Amino acid sequence: MAGAAVWTSWDFLQPVAGQAGGPVATVTPDAVPSETVLEIPSMRGYLTEAEGEIVSLRWKCPHLGCKVPWCESSGQFECPCHGSVFNRVGEYRRGPAARGMDRYEYEIVDGIIVPDTSKIIRGAPVGTLETINEPPKGPECLEATSE
Amino acid sequence: MSLMDSIRKSAVGRSIWRTPKRVTDRDRAAAHWGNFFLHIYPVKMRREQISFKWSWFLGVASMVLYGSLVASGVYLMFFYVPSPTTAYGDIIFLQTNVAFGQYIRNIHRWSAHLMVVAVAAHMAKMFYRGAYKPPREFNWLIGVVLLILTLLLSFTGYLLPWDQLAYWAITVGTSMTEFVPVIGDTVRAMLIGGTEVGAQTLLRFYVLHVAVLPSLLIGLIMIHLWRWRKDSMLEVDVEVGNE
Amino acid sequence: MSDIDPTTSSDQRVLGFVEGTPPVGDRKIPREEDSVMVWPHLLVRHAVVALAVIVFVLLLALFFNAPLREMANPTVTPNPEKAPWYFAALQELLFRFHPLVAGVLVPGAIIVGLVALPFIDRNPDTRQRNRKVAVATFTIFMVVWILLTVIGFAFRGPNWGWVWPWLEWYGEL
Ligand code: FES
Repeated sequence: MAGAAVWTSWDFLQPVAGQAGGPVATVTPDAVPSETVLEIPSMRGYLTEAEGEIVSLRWKCPHLGCKVPWCESSGQFECPCHGSVFNRVGEYRRGPAARGMDRYEYEIVDGIIVPDTSKIIRGAPVGTLETINEPPKGPECLEATSE
Repeated sequence: MSLMDSIRKSAVGRSIWRTPKRVTDRDRAAAHWGNFFLHIYPVKMRREQISFKWSWFLGVASMVLYGSLVASGVYLMFFYVPSPTTAYGDIIFLQTNVAFGQYIRNIHRWSAHLMVVAVAAHMAKMFYRGAYKPPREFNWLIGVVLLILTLLLSFTGYLLPWDQLAYWAITVGTSMTEFVPVIGDTVRAMLIGGTEVGAQTLLRFYVLHVAVLPSLLIGLIMIHLWRWRKDSMLEVDVEVGNE
Repeated sequence: MSDIDPTTSSDQRVLGFVEGTPPVGDRKIPREEDSVMVWPHLLVRHAVVALAVIVFVLLLALFFNAPLREMANPTVTPNPEKAPWYFAALQELLFRFHPLVAGVLVPGAIIVGLVALPFIDRNPDTRQRNRKVAVATFTIFMVVWILLTVIGFAFRGPNWGWVWPWLEWYGEL
């Protein structure tokens, strides 16, 4: 009985269908920049391009879930909450986060990038090497505001 | 004979109190036993135990704050719909257009913070008094659960105004559960009803805040107080036993 | 006074009651160990405490408004982002340690520790001078926790950097 109760309520409390995200139509691949990132609020993430690959990043910090803003001056993602820093494709640089930024799976439908926000690919854990060679190109946004 | 005595001796008075006399301690004890509201209290206690030096009355303070929270909370419920499109507006409306709306919301907010303080202080006090020791271990355990419930009540209520403070505090707070090994992601999904804090989260937290957690809390408080009453003469017995 | 209740005892009859003050009770000079009637002695105290608490809350609510920021906006995280004050200590730990440690193991250990306390500390003595280890451990925990809470609540500003609360205030209630 107790087992059945736990099992049913477990099932019952799962997110209602459609609440856990889904496909979001965004932009055409040639609108995605490779120097900076494109913020797409409807998918709660960023699109960018590296070595001909589209990267669709989730903006939620893998540490505790703040939105990680893009810092134009340094060319990296810098989380104001506890100072985690990620490179342009969301790979871990420093801070208390335990992995890189998550990505969404995406498809290209009729020439439009359609990331699926319910299909999340976890970022690579701390210690994984960065795949792009883009050191910070200028002053960090974190430093500027902490004074 | 005072007015109260004659009221108690009348036919109606007798039907209510049953024991009209208040002469001996025995009469008073009988009156105590016959009174619903006093049944959560023991009839007698050691004089020392009711002094301020011994008891800082933190338990009573917590109970009073809980009462204040229920009263102000019910008032707030009349003006609040737990949906992201309406919640914030409801609070603004409450604060600007409802009589005493801002004041009652203030009472609810400050009572909540004070209750967390009072319950935590109560627990610390009980530690220093050694009140968790046998045979009262179980009541200590219930107390721990009550502290956790108090924190959860405060935390679920924190989301309801649906402002920036609420949204991000709950985003950050619930993200911690993701790091629980194996079941972390599922637990978070069940808690907030999705992958992001949203409409489902607000609804779930609302239900937890106004129905599930308060009833659990009151149920456990009843057990907590019952045990307290049963154990209230314990130290007297222990002392007599030592002689 | 006899222990047997004359009104209910089957082999006795009530012959009558004598009105008057009891031989023990109100007139006796109380000693510290004496037990007293809860009504009125304890209930009066409880009423005073209850009134004091209520007055305090009513005054607080009169002078300080509950905070309300802008409407929730998933596209902007406020900086600094502060948890409710009772989680400030955890947040301070999360800033320094891996989230599995600070977010799961530490709170888990605290809860388990509190629950298991009566079964860990088997010393039956309740006098503080006879339980130095327990009292010292608990006090250290309390001091550390309160310190972390105060730091996280008042001494942290944008980007979770250090601020002096008397110069800049970022605490949220
Ligand atoms: S939430 Fe981004 S560093 Fe903590």
